[in-house]
Amino acid sequence: MSVSVLLTARALSVEQAMRELSGPALGGVALFAGRVRPDRTRAGRVWALFYEAHEPLATRRLRELERTARRRFGAGRVVLWHRIGRLRVGEVAVIVGAACPHRDAAFEAARYLIEQLKVEVPIWKTDRARPARRRRPRPSRPGAPSAG
Amino acid sequence: MQFLQPCGVGSAVPRSPSTVRIRLFATAREAVGAASVDLAVPDEGMRADELVAALGRKYPRLRPALRTSRFVRNDRYLDDLAERIRPGDEFAVHPPYGGG
Repeated sequence: MSVSVLLTARALSVEQAMRELSGPALGGVALFAGRVRPDRTRAGRVWALFYEAHEPLATRRLRELERTARRRFGAGRVVLWHRIGRLRVGEVAVIVGAACPHRDAAFEAARYLIEQLKVEVPIWKTDRARPARRRRPRPSRPGAPSAG
Repeated sequence: MQFLQPCGVGSAVPRSPSTVRIRLFATAREAVGAASVDLAVPDEGMRADELVAALGRKYPRLRPALRTSRFVRNDRYLDDLAERIRPGDEFAVHPPYGGG
């Protein structure tokens, strides 16, 4: 079954997205996958992100983006998949992709999809950060260089 | 008449017919400490901007999020805050989106 739009707590698969984007006349496939980064914040190092969405509004907005990508860029197949729930660093949070007859349109469509998803779809992330551990001062050894 | 009460999403506690459920997301949820609250409203409802002001009075920490949020009634964006929110409606506070 074709799944263009998906909000799920399950892991996203790039391989599965590539299969979704296949079609006989679709020679150009552009796919973007976004993963959780271990950014530094004021609270410390991010170890996970918590994603939430307002359903069913989020799915409706994703479907509108899909229709626009098909109409404006001639995309034959589109993928707009987003994870919700708690994701650890390195996990794939989002996959967007477009399959078109040629590469220019595919790149443009995929870029459009990810940029619009970020500003138009009611999905949010809040970070889970862990304060950096302070280093304990090493006991000084006789003859070791010292500051000051 | 203003009565705000935190509640959980999908709470088994039956809602009074004269309340509006307010869903809170991201920074709004964190400011209040709940994913939703119920607000008692008059039978004739109240303007959306009045409802937002009542939320800000009840939850001062929510005010920064309210200043930058969009508002949704029954899964439709509110373009006009003069619209009336009536008992039984669901009202949502949407801080700026951040998917991806």
